[in-house]
Amino acid sequence: MTRPRTRAGIALALGLALATSGCGLGSTEARQTPAAARVPELGPDQKVSIVFESYNFGQAGAWTDTFNELIGKFRQAHPNITVTAQKPQGNSANPATDTIPSVQSQLAAGNPPDVAQLGFSDLDFTVHQLGAKPLDDLVGRDAVQANFAGAKHPYAASARTLGDWDGRTYGVPFVFSTPVLYFNASLFQQSGLDPANPPKTWAEVGAAAAKIKAATGKDGAYLDCLTKEAKDWCFQSLVRSNGGRVLSADRKSLTFADEPAVEVVRLAQDLVKSGVSPKLAQKQGYEAFARGDIGMILETSAVQATFVKGAQGKWDLRSTTMPSFAGKPVVPTNSGASLFVFAGDPAKQRAAWELIRFLTSETAYVTISSKIGYLPLRTGLVDDPDGLKEWAAKNPLVRPNLDQLAHMEPWVSFPGANYLQIRDGMMDAVENAVYQGADPQATLSAARDRAASLVPGGVR
Amino acid sequence: MFVEVVAPAPGSPPPRAARPPLGRRVVAGAQPYLYLAPALALLGVWTYRPLAQTVQLSFYSWNLLPSTPMTPVGLRNYQRLIDLPDLGQAAVRTVVVIVGLLPFSVVIPVLVGLVTRQVRDRARVVYQAMVFAPTLVAPVASAAVWQWLLDPGAGVVNKVLGTRLNWLHETGSAQFAIIVITGWSVLGFATLVVSAGLAGINGDYGEAAQLDGASRGQITRWITLPLLSPTLVFLVLMTVLLSAQWTFPLIDTLTQGGPARATTNVYYLLWDYSFHSYDAGLGAAAGVLLFAAFGLVAAGLVRLSERLSFHDD
Repeated sequence: MTRPRTRAGIALALGLALATSGCGLGSTEARQTPAAARVPELGPDQKVSIVFESYNFGQAGAWTDTFNELIGKFRQAHPNITVTAQKPQGNSANPATDTIPSVQSQLAAGNPPDVAQLGFSDLDFTVHQLGAKPLDDLVGRDAVQANFAGAKHPYAASARTLGDWDGRTYGVPFVFSTPVLYFNASLFQQSGLDPANPPKTWAEVGAAAAKIKAATGKDGAYLDCLTKEAKDWCFQSLVRSNGGRVLSADRKSLTFADEPAVEVVRLAQDLVKSGVSPKLAQKQGYEAFARGDIGMILETSAVQATFVKGAQGKWDLRSTTMPSFAGKPVVPTNSGASLFVFAGDPAKQRAAWELIRFLTSETAYVTISSKIGYLPLRTGLVDDPDGLKEWAAKNPLVRPNLDQLAHMEPWVSFPGANYLQIRDGMMDAVENAVYQGADPQATLSAARDRAASLVPGGVR
Repeated sequence: MFVEVVAPAPGSPPPRAARPPLGRRVVAGAQPYLYLAPALALLGVWTYRPLAQTVQLSFYSWNLLPSTPMTPVGLRNYQRLIDLPDLGQAAVRTVVVIVGLLPFSVVIPVLVGLVTRQVRDRARVVYQAMVFAPTLVAPVASAAVWQWLLDPGAGVVNKVLGTRLNWLHETGSAQFAIIVITGWSVLGFATLVVSAGLAGINGDYGEAAQLDGASRGQITRWITLPLLSPTLVFLVLMTVLLSAQWTFPLIDTLTQGGPARATTNVYYLLWDYSFHSYDAGLGAAAGVLLFAAFGLVAAGLVRLSERLSFHDD
């Protein structure tokens, strides 16, 4: 008779305790995070388990399979380290957009993943707000640089410092792409264009797109750089290639309403207005291209696998480097993500570093590039017969990315705690102008004025 | 035939129970409150405490990270909300959504309910199950299906209508699509509520009026609808207070508030501030303003319902 009652009582007490203990607000006092100390090597019998969070585990198909294969290989090489792989919490169509909220909520619960794959656009926030551990402090600058140098093939010079802040390495760049112009050679031929000689400037792109539209009735060109969903990596590249920036070099003032950026938006708006570029959302855009319904698309190589699959046996997929603004050099920027350590325990920190070393090793890149099509950051691999030489010869699609790596500039993250409001405000304005026909200068200026007060130490 | 009953003697007081001791009276008096205590405690913990915390949070700037301190900013969050055009525009869009949803949550269900009153027995059960089905489909799943239906290239909707419209990515049609999809999913629920309301109306009134020569239209207008008014007010109240929440999963899956913020209503804006931009203070301030505004609207509607509703007592 008393038992169920006692149980109910315990349940109630537990419920109340739970209810009242959680969900508190933060502290109003600044907390000093202690500097990370050098972590010792793992003992020969020391067992460690770590959690690795990557959005690649949320992408079905080639992505998940390849990453599971890599983790399996790591377990064989390091039997004492157990890796639990997980995708970010959340239910976005694109799991890459869930990364920061996921790490944030796990940090709030006091249990962050030990290794996380986070985008370059979040770098400032990751370093200053999320508190990623500086790798130079954890394992020593020499070890970090030795990993970049690699066993045989070093990282491309432009890729090495992408995860650095003030000269210290926080993240190891892992997977990324530069903007690549993919084109449908079959549509080119049908329209009387030469597929061996794809457009080199944006003016040529516009002309070719008009020809495709007139000859085949299909859409001419889509730039996956001009919507909020696309984020701003590729828009930054367009603006840099036109001689501008979205954020001043001292990170204090927003410059995305200056003439070079406005010109880019105006050009894109003209493409849409004249009907040669379709009004599509990001996913609709690359899916339509994969179906063979668009002549050209400026896109990351992350979706190359989708194109290859869509084109197989139906049309001829080719790629070329990003077009330029007449007379100005092309400045490609990178998309993608680095690997960061959030573990607090020294043993886990060491194990996390071992995982990062493994995932960025030559063998891992051979697997990643050949299975997914992503750019090998150890570029020497493509000339190595034991590496990716054979694969690269069979896959000329990777070439533009390799060529652009040499003169690439980093995707700049916006500063401060409200960096996403700044970035999204800018991209909202771009989208509004390009696809909804708003005035480019007025819209961008309004977005800049609204975001100016969000820049730390910025001037209005 | 009368039976003589002895009248009680005047002056003798009615018998009275002895007063119980004070302690027991306190226990007896407290008993109902003790029964209520768990519910009240949970209400306090889950509803009123977060509400108080939201108000508190609205005076701070904080990005939700335990490692970052909350900085007091006074009324700056409110100042920003008023300065930025976002909140006002989102409020207008919310009103549009509410007005757009009223046909689906009130008008069509009443029409359907009246027309199908004659359906009986098993046919009735089958029909109700079919009408209710869309409400049972998870919003995110139905959103995915609608996304295919509304696809500009291969979508069925464009094929049937002969258009080439990118429904979800044009400022004009996106809001319309969201309203129709939401309406489609709440229609079944509202129809069921109306059916229940109709079933609760005593048939005697209608029959009596019929005997007096009233036509069916007159019965509907002067008897059924007035008796149904509590149900209708309830549905209007639900639509006004909940439509922004009904649309949320669809907006999040289909448009993410776009294109050019055309589908960003107040709830989506609030979520965007707090959990997308990590500006918890700004989100909380927007939440407090919303709470106050919707509180006033709800109070107004409840009063209106007291005055308008015709009760079948």
